[in-house]
Amino acid sequence: MDDRVVDFIRGLRAAGVRVSLAESVDALRAVEVLGVTQKGTFRESLRATLVKEHDDFAAFDQLFPLYFGSGGPVMQNAMDDLSGDEQEMLKAALAAMSGRLDQLMDWLTSGNGPSKEELEELANRAGAQWANNPGDARWVSRRMLQQMGMGHLEEQIRQLIQKLQEMGMSQEAIEKLTGVIQANREALAEQVAQQVGLQIAQDRANRPEDLHGSDLMHKPFGSLTEDETNILRKEVQRLVAQLRSRIALRRKRGKEGKFDAKATIRANQRYGGVPVEIKHRKNKLKPRLVLLCDTSRSMLQVAEFMLRLTYELQDQVAKTRSFGFYADMQEISIIMSGNRPGEAVQEALESFYKYGVGHYATDFGHSLDTFFKKWLDSVDGRTTVVILGDGRNNYNSPRIDLMKDLQRRAKRLVWLNPEHPRQWGTGDSDMLEYVPICDGVHTVRNLAQLSTAVDKLLDVR
Amino acid sequence: MFKNIADVLQGLGSQQYIASEEISTVVYLAQSLCKPILAEGPAGVGKTELAKAWAGAIGAPLVRLQCYEGLDESKALYEWEYAKQMLYTQLLRDTLRNVLGEVNSLAEAAKRLAQEEDVFFSENFLLPRPLMTALTSEVPVVLLIDEIDRADVEFEAFLLEVLSDFQVSVPELGTIKAKHQPMVLLTSNNTRELSEALKRRCLYLHVDYPTQQDEMNIVRLKVPNLRPELAQQAVAVVQQLRNMDLRKVPSISETLDWARALVTLNAQSIDEKTLNTTLTVLLKYETDVQKAKRMMGGSGDSGSRRDRGKRYDQ
Repeated sequence: MDDRVVDFIRGLRAAGVRVSLAESVDALRAVEVLGVTQKGTFRESLRATLVKEHDDFAAFDQLFPLYFGSGGPVMQNAMDDLSGDEQEMLKAALAAMSGRLDQLMDWLTSGNGPSKEELEELANRAGAQWANNPGDARWVSRRMLQQMGMGHLEEQIRQLIQKLQEMGMSQEAIEKLTGVIQANREALAEQVAQQVGLQIAQDRANRPEDLHGSDLMHKPFGSLTEDETNILRKEVQRLVAQLRSRIALRRKRGKEGKFDAKATIRANQRYGGVPVEIKHRKNKLKPRLVLLCDTSRSMLQVAEFMLRLTYELQDQVAKTRSFGFYADMQEISIIMSGNRPGEAVQEALESFYKYGVGHYATDFGHSLDTFFKKWLDSVDGRTTVVILGDGRNNYNSPRIDLMKDLQRRAKRLVWLNPEHPRQWGTGDSDMLEYVPICDGVHTVRNLAQLSTAVDKLLDVR
Repeated sequence: MFKNIADVLQGLGSQQYIASEEISTVVYLAQSLCKPILAEGPAGVGKTELAKAWAGAIGAPLVRLQCYEGLDESKALYEWEYAKQMLYTQLLRDTLRNVLGEVNSLAEAAKRLAQEEDVFFSENFLLPRPLMTALTSEVPVVLLIDEIDRADVEFEAFLLEVLSDFQVSVPELGTIKAKHQPMVLLTSNNTRELSEALKRRCLYLHVDYPTQQDEMNIVRLKVPNLRPELAQQAVAVVQQLRNMDLRKVPSISETLDWARALVTLNAQSIDEKTLNTTLTVLLKYETDVQKAKRMMGGSGDSGSRRDRGKRYDQ
């Protein structure tokens, strides 16, 4: 059983759940305490020890039945319900039909389904080893069932019934028999589906971990598969968490400020003026962020990442306000602060696309204008303004004057652009005009660049 | 101490806490593996109540540490009682004079005083804060660390040490080790991500809003005076509100407040008037109240209201 749990943990890790060694040990101890006899309890004990994020519950719920399921429902033996004569008749009929569906008919009538090895063999023949995603399980199991001959089964069953009728089996017995066959058929389909799901999950766990390596760090955001996207999301989260602890450290170091005579005298009144406690002024470094995120169509592939970055930054830096722009600027701080990450990003995107994708044209100039009219109070001398966008403005006015003003007001103005520098200034891109105004411009085409850029975001000058 | 999971379920039940199978399994595991529990979930689903019920069920005292921004070690662990130390020095002046009676030089006086130094840094002058109280208690306690997500990252890091070894070091006294390992419950409302190191050390429990049936049971248990039909209607309304797109959806504690309000007002049924006057117990934003009123609209029995609500939801 321990081996199975360890296998399961590897499966979880491959699905993107972070499980540490200590947690695996906890899981095994928990299983030792509670045993495996009660499935519900067993499941809870694994989940409480292994999965520490509510978002990862889905992966757990998907994998658990694959690893600890019974392997599908049990098949019945059709012979059990039949009398001796009828059993003979069935055997004779089956023998007479001997065709290429022998094996399948045997499984369905005898109740002895294919063994684990046979299923594995069949799954491999159907191409399970080429399937990479849990989503592929469906077509693999469909192909597997086809190869077993499910497609011709109806025909075969009809022939069998005809033969049995000719032999004089009672209508009642025949109905009972077909019922059993149908039930077995569903059970077999279920067994196949579980086997395929398990095999794909295990293959995924056994694959070398190149996905987590540096390749992914340098892969452009636009060309990621679903799996990779998930891993990247987590990386973004970790990145920002790291950033936060660095801020916290800086704050702590900055705590020992100048000696504060007034506070010291006040604090030591109770000791009769003997200076027991020495007070220092706190010079706290409280970063403030304003994020302007481009959600336009040209940014669609990376917009989700940018929004996610926005979300995480807002989560970590208390004084953050975030805005999204397309044709016009909108404040998204509330959406971002109120929801779980996935939902927040989705909701923010939806709020911009509620009239369909093609409805608007990007207008950063106009968006800036709106920002100046409505939310200029969010920018002051301590604020770092970060713009996440490609600077493609649809030939609208770039409003350089407003950008200059923004730079003057803010502590720093940083632009993160997902386009390669050689594309700046081509077509409708106004990037080259913005570059000299900004305090920092970073190309952010992949995670490696993103992490460098985020790292410099809150630099104290 | 609980003997098995059913025992947990029964024990918590006796404290008027309806625990799901998941909760009781995790509590039992926490006790037998000696690990802290990290309970996450929306505000007001009974995470804090769980700690109280747990303490009540095993008859252990509950020590509560409420976290907030700026909470530091001295407020959570211990402080020296300076004032008391000063007072004692004043009162013991004569004794001190006797001790220092026939010394001739300053160096000798300091040396002699140093021998007595321990008196002033003994446990007499130690002011224990919740964590220290939990560690030094003579009987096992349940330690509730409430809303850990509000505390600073530094405090979280400090807590790691306490939670993994259950010991702290006080420079003047040496290391203080827990006499009995306390049972620890940390709660978080998810306002920020907690560090992975902390999560690793805990068992994870996600508490969500209850199903209609569970909530019904809770209301019946906590507000027995409310008529069953009315409770049924009230719970149905709350469940419906939770499906709506509101800034803050009502929690269990708000359902209970509302149920009590209905009893106090002696409401006969949940009609439009009752709803209009008491909806503010459930919803805490004006925009939410307006939205809810628009959605529910009209009066009538709960059945038709639910139908209407469904239609509007679509």
